[in-house]
Amino acid sequence: MVESKKSVVISCAGLGSRLGLATTKALIKFNGVSLIGLQLELLREVEDIRVVVGFQANDVIEEVKRYRKDAVFVYNHDYFNTKTGASYYLGAKDGYEYAVGFDGDLLVHPDDLKKLLDTEGEWIAYADRSSDDAIMCKVNGKGDVLSFPGREGDYEWTGPCCIHKGKLRYSSGHVYNLLEPYLPMKGVLVRACDIDTYDDYQRAIEFVKSW
Amino acid sequence: MTRFIFDLDGTVTKVKILPLLADHFPIRKEIQELLQETSEGNTPFVESFIKRVYMLAKLPIDEVRNCISKIDLCDRVVAFMRSHQQNCVTATTNLRCWVVDIEERTGCPLFCSSASEFDNHILKLTSILKKENVVQRYKSEGEKVVYIGNGNNDVEAMRTADVSIASGLVSPPVSSVLSIADYVVYNEEALCRLLNQLIEC
Repeated sequence: MVESKKSVVISCAGLGSRLGLATTKALIKFNGVSLIGLQLELLREVEDIRVVVGFQANDVIEEVKRYRKDAVFVYNHDYFNTKTGASYYLGAKDGYEYAVGFDGDLLVHPDDLKKLLDTEGEWIAYADRSSDDAIMCKVNGKGDVLSFPGREGDYEWTGPCCIHKGKLRYSSGHVYNLLEPYLPMKGVLVRACDIDTYDDYQRAIEFVKSW
Repeated sequence: MTRFIFDLDGTVTKVKILPLLADHFPIRKEIQELLQETSEGNTPFVESFIKRVYMLAKLPIDEVRNCISKIDLCDRVVAFMRSHQQNCVTATTNLRCWVVDIEERTGCPLFCSSASEFDNHILKLTSILKKENVVQRYKSEGEKVVYIGNGNNDVEAMRTADVSIASGLVSPPVSSVLSIADYVVYNEEALCRLLNQLIEC
């Protein structure tokens, strides 16, 4: 079977306002290494890295270039009025057939990330609940994702996800809003840590130490 | 059909043309002053371009042309252009009589400004290329236009194009370009990957 080509879209356009560190989340540090730097280290085998930038775009670009001079930077100029759904769409629309959507505030265990990148076709990743401010997903016995009911559900929706780019439409909403019309979708349980608040950040530091 | 319009200076060429000419001819000081004024935003691009033309008009056309004809080009970008000749053109405000050899080196049509000539010297400017007109021309023919550029004189063309790519291959794109670009890339591998993806969209 010929493997489909994938782009990895890392959305780093947001303000990071809930974290309260006055910096976009991609630039927060883990033992001296930026979050985007950690992600790019784990994604070093991926050919097409597309980083969506908005808030602090120049700083994010300079940091990414330290790791991947061959990244494509995608502008979300309307980052103040949009959420991750817009960035995912903008990053994916001109890329390869399938687009892996990866939030700039997400850390996935390296073994699980490798498994995800080797998974063919469309999928949604989820994790055991860890975040204070989580959107949950409902999952059936096979592990397929059935819905995103909000604050109640079986697992935390952390992403990443992978979908054919032709199914994406511009939206000022969240990535899970873009996925909802295509549910149920294949689900994959991963060890992941989503960083929305300062407490999440502290948990993520411990998570990285456990690798 | 997808149409790719490439800015010449610092997108197709590996070095900037004006500093190259400054190194070859006894006009270094004047050119440096002009570049400084333009980069600081004190001189609008068209004014700067007209000054440039009359500065270079003192030089024999064939010597300027010969100097530019040897300029290093971005190998991968040129390879893309040569393998997609039906889709690609170059747009530059430089005078055709100076840069005409680029057409043969890229294998693609060149849109430029023009001047009347006498005795191997520029007599006067006859037209200044507005790059956005090139974009409009192809859009009006129903083509999807992708514009790749990096300077102040690319902004309107990028704003008019369906897809705009800021090129940081040689030097950082100016901030006015970044404020409207859909993409920015910093090496040829990234640019050519993106161009190949766009041609398949």
